[in-house]
Amino acid sequence: MFRRILVANRGEIAARVLRACRSLGIRTVAVHSTADAASPHLKLADRTVCIGPAPAARSYLDMDAVLQAAEQTECQAVHPGYGFLAENALFAARCEAQHLTFIGPTPRMIRLMGDKVEARRTMRAAGIPVIPGSEGALADAAEAARAAAGVGYPVFLKAAAGGGGKGMRRCDDETALGRGFEEASAEARAAFGDGTLYLEKAILGGRHVEFQVLCDAWGAGVHLAERECSVQRHHQKLLEEAPSPAVTPAVREAMGARVAAAASGLGYRSAGTMEFLLDGEGRLHFMEMNTRLQVEHPVTEEITGIDLVAEQIRIAAGERLSVPPGGVRIDGHAVECRINAEDPDQDFRPSPGTITRWAMPPGARIETHAQEGYTVPPHYDSLLAKVVVKGPDRASAFAAMAEALEATAIEGIRTTLPLHRRLVRHPAILSGRYDVGLLDAPLPAAGPARARPSGRRAGRG
Amino acid sequence: MAKVILEPIGSPLRQALDPAAAAAAREAMGRLNAGLRSQRAEVRAGWGPEYARRVREKGRLTTWERIERLRDPGTDVLPIGTLVNHGLTFGEKRLTSPAAGVITAFVRVAGRLAVVIANDNTVASGSWWPMTPEKIQRAQEIALRLRVPVVYLVDCSGLFLPEQGRTFPGRAGAGAIFRMNALLSDAGVPQVAGVLGDCIAGGGYMPIISDVVYMTEQAYMVIAGGALIKGGKGQTITSLEIGGPDVHVHLSACADRRVPDDAACIDGIRAELGRLPGSAADYYRRGASAEPPRFPPSEIDAFFPADHRMAYDVKQVIARLFDSSLFWEVLPDTGREMVCGVARIGGLYAGVIANNQLLTGHPDQEQARRAGGILYREGIAKVSAFSRACNDDGLPIVWLQDISGFDIGVEAEKQGLLGFGSSLIYTNSTNTTPMITVLLRKASGAGYYALAGLPYAPVLQLSTPITRLAVMEGRTLAIGAYRTKLDESFEIIASSPQEEAAVRKGMADVEARITADMDPVAAARRMDTDEVVTMEELRAYIGTVVEAAYQAYGYRRVKNPRIWSLHDLKVLAG
Repeated sequence: MFRRILVANRGEIAARVLRACRSLGIRTVAVHSTADAASPHLKLADRTVCIGPAPAARSYLDMDAVLQAAEQTECQAVHPGYGFLAENALFAARCEAQHLTFIGPTPRMIRLMGDKVEARRTMRAAGIPVIPGSEGALADAAEAARAAAGVGYPVFLKAAAGGGGKGMRRCDDETALGRGFEEASAEARAAFGDGTLYLEKAILGGRHVEFQVLCDAWGAGVHLAERECSVQRHHQKLLEEAPSPAVTPAVREAMGARVAAAASGLGYRSAGTMEFLLDGEGRLHFMEMNTRLQVEHPVTEEITGIDLVAEQIRIAAGERLSVPPGGVRIDGHAVECRINAEDPDQDFRPSPGTITRWAMPPGARIETHAQEGYTVPPHYDSLLAKVVVKGPDRASAFAAMAEALEATAIEGIRTTLPLHRRLVRHPAILSGRYDVGLLDAPLPAAGPARARPSGRRAGRG
Repeated sequence: MAKVILEPIGSPLRQALDPAAAAAAREAMGRLNAGLRSQRAEVRAGWGPEYARRVREKGRLTTWERIERLRDPGTDVLPIGTLVNHGLTFGEKRLTSPAAGVITAFVRVAGRLAVVIANDNTVASGSWWPMTPEKIQRAQEIALRLRVPVVYLVDCSGLFLPEQGRTFPGRAGAGAIFRMNALLSDAGVPQVAGVLGDCIAGGGYMPIISDVVYMTEQAYMVIAGGALIKGGKGQTITSLEIGGPDVHVHLSACADRRVPDDAACIDGIRAELGRLPGSAADYYRRGASAEPPRFPPSEIDAFFPADHRMAYDVKQVIARLFDSSLFWEVLPDTGREMVCGVARIGGLYAGVIANNQLLTGHPDQEQARRAGGILYREGIAKVSAFSRACNDDGLPIVWLQDISGFDIGVEAEKQGLLGFGSSLIYTNSTNTTPMITVLLRKASGAGYYALAGLPYAPVLQLSTPITRLAVMEGRTLAIGAYRTKLDESFEIIASSPQEEAAVRKGMADVEARITADMDPVAAARRMDTDEVVTMEELRAYIGTVVEAAYQAYGYRRVKNPRIWSLHDLKVLAG
């Protein structure tokens, strides 16, 4: 096992990883930008290294700075968290070259799954059903039109290098497709430096269901059931639960076994998530694979009792999976609410500033780096805390969450807490019958959560 | 610390180059690439559809169909010597000999890289033309150097007799092919032959030394065929009766297996190669995988402006050739006119030596700037040391030449560039590690030799559509030839307009002749280069040779990176 790990992230996920390391008896190094020099999570680390100024490009995304910090502090491994360098194949390759173990999959897997066209092809070959669409990358609008005619409108154009809705267009007919192709390609080129597009049939009113897998370096792989992430606002997840109320035990076992076999068959290593769209007829269609820890991983941990971060670390150190295939038991139901430092009444505008009151509910699992007196910097993602509760069944989990949110208080800045209090009482959510279009309509009671067209930072799930 | 830390190099095209300049360069190169492709297509068609039809009528496959069946599905066939004899004619009938009547190529068969030597049965029934023996021997030499198996697909009606004086005698006469057969066998390189048609005289000898010989029902191997027997002995007998599978598989044992047709023969050969030990390449990847460069090889064209005198950043080229665009530059602060370092290609380590075209500082004179693409003392010393280290460590060396020559003048002579250059020549001549030499653009004078040009026995030498291989540029030679008629700034000094016109014309003629001679296709025709490839294709060729260098194990030194002498070099450099 490693003696010292560098955590190449910030905020709540850095705190989460630092705690996991501590529980395994591993010493830690936390890196931070000048803007995070006072972040409370740094107290969890044995050592801290300032790697640059506030802009992420010059600190958390600066590979040279992170690699140098790891070398200087004699770390054996680096945990990238999510976002920043977590799905950067070049970073993973550079870690390998430096003999610094990257806690995650191989650079090749990161690259394959990062290219959405390649990922579709790979998964289809591995026997996972994908959304009907183009064979691969589209050469031009004419090829897109042919592919669209094949699967039927409406369709989505998507960026091969994409994520977070950038370079994505819904097209309802050929005219819209012609126009959308140029726009989406230009947008993708601007956002990712690669304008390559592919096309998928638009499955409307589907649900976002994702399977968690864990694979070791020895070819063993298991699935840890699914998470339901359909409560989204413009492709940003707000509330997640596990298991999904829309997945039956039979579907779970069948698809779970397939994703685990596909991932281990591909030589995947570490934790990963396969995102699916569940259509109205109960069919699952692969969308993409995230080659990292997800923000919403705690709901899976709650229902399986497996510490995903600790597993990632053990797998990276060459240990075999501690959970035997078929050894994962689903117990109870878990819900997570993401509390962001955003003003839901002001179009979800980021709300940085100093927290004057911070009261977290007893009994709930809280994943956060914040505390009273903490100043939320304006430079980064606005995730402040994740409130996670578990109950023996779905109804009691939501009731417990409603109670927990009432006992939560954050003052000094605006947060999405009020929105979550309404969400957990939303009849559609409570009934379990909702899809990704849920928040397209105004919420019942208290002011509507208005949709905002664009301009948000690319999301992460 | 004995780590090999590769660092990212290169930048996206739109940051590296002015878009207009990049577009212009790509357009100019695009025309050259298209010209090259059409010449290749012409060669590949052999003598045309009529001859392919005749082959198929006999129930045989054409040579390219055989190769297509032989290769692993989805893998590339990388031909060597495509343009040999291109544009030449032979005999009174002025016959062409596309590809010199023999296809030689790297082909992946049953997961192993092999060198395939296949007589083109759509060109004069696979006759041997002038240069055919040399081309076959070159392919055998490549296989011998890399210890990769050789597959012969023999279908050869013998020498093209009207030109026998150019193929039979001499150092590279046809008989040297059989000597190479023997040397390959002696070195333990597997050779498998399929006899698929007429194999007369030389064609009959070629398969015999192979470890395994397959014969189809239509095939025969004879020292002399039916026609000659009738002439010499007055007997009427077919060649198939003299030397078909009945005789050679069952009586003489000159062949091993009898197969009904071409398809079965090819399948049998695939099975034979599958019985060999697998490739060691994945072992030597040390857990890495083959990763594409972060910037596509298709962008390399953009870095070479139509004007061959313009400079570019060779690291941008390296970034577009090697895995993940990662590079460890060795001795970056010494002899900056040369770039030396280590990169991976197909997941395997290789040493890279390239000419830097950009202006660099002078080691002693603070203000001075020196032109790139020239060998100065420091660069030569660095390249020698690096080349020796790669040889010590078993790293294949990739040379990326764009060289105008050695520095000249008093400083150069006083520093003893002759001596430093000779040390480099000595190093490269005695290296046993596989080298692959790419003539990116200029390959001039002694610089071409010093940086492992073809006379220094690289495993493969590649030209690009803009390669300029010559002792000196045409313009330089014209100035030299008319030196007495020119002033200090190379303007013509003439007593009359007539004289000036004569000098101008004379210089233009010299320049045009040399420039025509530098045409990479002309070099390929003469086998002065192994293949002309586009910039985009370089990665596939380099990657294949590097992989082939690691395929067989136990025949050459391959050190693990912990114990590379390159680390010593780094420490000594401080």
